[in-house]
Amino acid sequence: MGPQGNPETAGIRNVGRTVVFARPAEAELASRADWPDEALMLAIASRDELAFAVLYDRYVDLVYSASFRILADAGLAEDTSQDVFVRLWRRPEAFIADRGRFLSWLMSVTRNRAVDELRARGRRRRREGGPLGEPDEAAEPLFATHPPDPQSTAELHEEQLAVRTALRDLPGEQKTALELAYFGGFTQQEIAARLHEPLGTVKTRIRLGMQKLRKSLEVRG
Amino acid sequence: MTGEHITQEQADEFAIGSLEPASEHAVTVHLAECPACRDIVRDSERLAARFAMSSPLRRPPSHLKDRVLAAAGIRRPGPLRRVAGYARTAAGIAAVFVAVAAFTGMVWMRGEMSGLRDDDERLQRKIDEALSQEVEIAALTRKLDDQEKEAARLADAATGDQDLIVALLSNNTRIADVVPAAEDSTSIGRLVWDGDQKRVWFVASDLPQRPAGETYQLWVNSGGKYYSLGTFAADPDGFARHQTIVPEGITSYDTAVVTIERAGGSPIRQGPTVFLVYDLSRLKD
Ligand SMILES: [Zn+2]
Repeated sequence: MGPQGNPETAGIRNVGRTVVFARPAEAELASRADWPDEALMLAIASRDELAFAVLYDRYVDLVYSASFRILADAGLAEDTSQDVFVRLWRRPEAFIADRGRFLSWLMSVTRNRAVDELRARGRRRRREGGPLGEPDEAAEPLFATHPPDPQSTAELHEEQLAVRTALRDLPGEQKTALELAYFGGFTQQEIAARLHEPLGTVKTRIRLGMQKLRKSLEVRG
Repeated sequence: MTGEHITQEQADEFAIGSLEPASEHAVTVHLAECPACRDIVRDSERLAARFAMSSPLRRPPSHLKDRVLAAAGIRRPGPLRRVAGYARTAAGIAAVFVAVAAFTGMVWMRGEMSGLRDDDERLQRKIDEALSQEVEIAALTRKLDDQEKEAARLADAATGDQDLIVALLSNNTRIADVVPAAEDSTSIGRLVWDGDQKRVWFVASDLPQRPAGETYQLWVNSGGKYYSLGTFAADPDGFARHQTIVPEGITSYDTAVVTIERAGGSPIRQGPTVFLVYDLSRLKD
């Protein structure tokens, strides 16, 4: 990881480098772009604003996209994204205490925050189409020409592709059950009522859906 | 549910968000006390996170970043501050130093410092450099806040930090993050445990002073038993720095807490918990 090829400049100098104020900010920013999420979070716990900026650039699209999918409203998705990142800055130790993989934690915070918002407003999806609407590939407003962190952006795209492929192999009713729960914010009883299916059927679909997803993502890595 | 472990199916339902509120609450309560089930749920949450990524990627409007930075209290534009928020008070500098060293150390420093301890001359040079950095920050603080006396005091104090710096450099030192128990607390701190020097430091900022008759007390849990590591107070700036030796008979600890006890300290842990200690080193793969 990172720029520590030369042991002479490592060690205590790094302590000074982070604290002393003379360094140009761009160099600092560039060095942090290589850092893994967990290292950035530790730096954020030490109030490192550059680390926060790097983490924001790395994941804002993902956080915003998931919020938008749940809330179907650009303004609310912005509010939710802001809330998620501000919390992350204010209480990074919540993640440190959790000790999981950073991205899982971030997405789980995002989803819960967006669903809270959805429930607070007492409204459900307004999108036309199916109960959730299929992700509309054509309308996808994709990246501008200059993504801030090309390497992790590429990784995200790769991961996205793997997940979408796995979802394509899922029976439609299982996929719908998972989407209603995760993106729609419905509990299994609410899903059952909505689909006019017995609760047991819905539970089975969710269970099988998760199992299949797990298996096919494991196979693909 | 508190007693019952969580099944894979429940973990999946929890992660995908399909549980009814009561069941969800029961799972949350159980997870708080069961590491084994936390591992199962973490795996499910990882899967759910990947599911979340199936959404089409949308780019938020560019003004969102400004909004977020402003809401977080981070100024923009211009060079972002590093740890200036803490460095502005002289009392926070040692905390910053420990925090930064803790972080940097976890990520790459300590691995590369391996062997250096055997080389006295080089080690001494590194220590001198570190100390001069700290004095440099003190000078900067003086410029910022015109706290000349405070800066001078800090420069003096820095030379007394030699043991702590040696501890930070040691491969046999554990540096743990200290998390406030109260949601609204802004305290930040570190527990530094040096197995070689048999010493322990506890440093924290933003810690309220206790009223007369009360004190902070540091405890470590080793093998299921709590050992007192002594009492300490916060200074008027809310800064606390407690240094002590590792108690006889223990070589490491599992967890640590800071509690509020009656003045003079308590023989057993009984007061309310102020801090919990998490070991940052476990985040390292
Ligand atoms: Zn359990």
